[in-house]
Amino acid sequence: MAEILEINEEHHTDVLTRPDNGEGGEKTVMNISYGKTMMWYFLLSDAFTFSAFLIAYASIRLSQPWWPDPNLVFKSFPGMAHANAPLAFVSVMTFILILSSVAVVRAVQEGHRMNQKGVMLWMIGGIVGGAMFLGCQAWEWNNLITEGLRPYYNPFGPDANGITHLVHEKLSVSPGPIAFGALFFGITGFHGFHVFTGVCINIWAFIATANGTFQRRGHYEMIEKVGLYWHFVDLVWVFVFLAFYLM
Amino acid sequence: MGVRFLSILFNVKFVKFKDMSNHLTEEQYQSGVKAVWRATAILSVVTVVEVAVALILGPHFPKIVMNTFYVLASLAKAFFIVGEFMHLKYEKRAFMLSLGVPLVFLVWAIIAFATEGHYWNVLNYPK
Repeated sequence: MAEILEINEEHHTDVLTRPDNGEGGEKTVMNISYGKTMMWYFLLSDAFTFSAFLIAYASIRLSQPWWPDPNLVFKSFPGMAHANAPLAFVSVMTFILILSSVAVVRAVQEGHRMNQKGVMLWMIGGIVGGAMFLGCQAWEWNNLITEGLRPYYNPFGPDANGITHLVHEKLSVSPGPIAFGALFFGITGFHGFHVFTGVCINIWAFIATANGTFQRRGHYEMIEKVGLYWHFVDLVWVFVFLAFYLM
Repeated sequence: MGVRFLSILFNVKFVKFKDMSNHLTEEQYQSGVKAVWRATAILSVVTVVEVAVALILGPHFPKIVMNTFYVLASLAKAFFIVGEFMHLKYEKRAFMLSLGVPLVFLVWAIIAFATEGHYWNVLNYPK
């Protein structure tokens, strides 16, 4: 018995004397490091938050007799005044976000090879993609606000069959379902905030890579964790795209 | 103390984490890169098909058919992002389940809230 205890003692000390890499330990649960595990569980909780918003959207939309047709609301494209291009601009945004996600995956792969230059290069791609997406969203918001959409007012009503009529702006009654603006700005805004924080975190990761922090540490696991967050932002967009633009 | 007790009780071996991915061979690296570009191509194609279907077939089919297609296509995209980009496909099954099983609650939430919303609609705006 004493022998067994001794052996276990050895094991235990071995675990406790692991090199501290500043990321909260290397002992693993299910063969995945604690840092990545906890990032995953944070993302799971974040997924529930987004799901709650989207389910609220579905519930309110189903409770209304009429809902604005996305093909008539989201039909403008930059550089083309009064263009009738439904889904075009938002497809471009989706594509930008996918490519930005891919750039970060490539950064993770270069990190596995300890290729500092490669990580930096692909992280720039991810950051630029994120910034472009935010720019697109700002344009989209600006456009809809100009058309009269507010969190408390929806100009896209059944009478005009989706055509904006600013005449109603002064009226207290909204021409369309009043929740549309609040849901649109709330959910895309919450997603946009995630994109914004993701871009900030990516910039930090890029600077740390450039400083050689991860090279000295001996691994690029931090890029993987940052990448998980960034892909999650892309994942959420798939469902925001589904709820607001396709359905 | 607790850790030691458990290790005796369940005969668990505490193995130090060693990230083998830091020692990738050239072939493993190349196949990884290829898998990522493949996933990118699939995601792009699915998005383009979704939009094309929405614009071309959308007006000619019932809403329920179109929405089913959109949901399935979006779920396919989600699986590619989570599996390939977030690398979950290559993790342990137990870890995948620990993330996937809690999401089952959403099935209930979607059905319950959609039903309630629709009921509200029927009550307030009788046809």
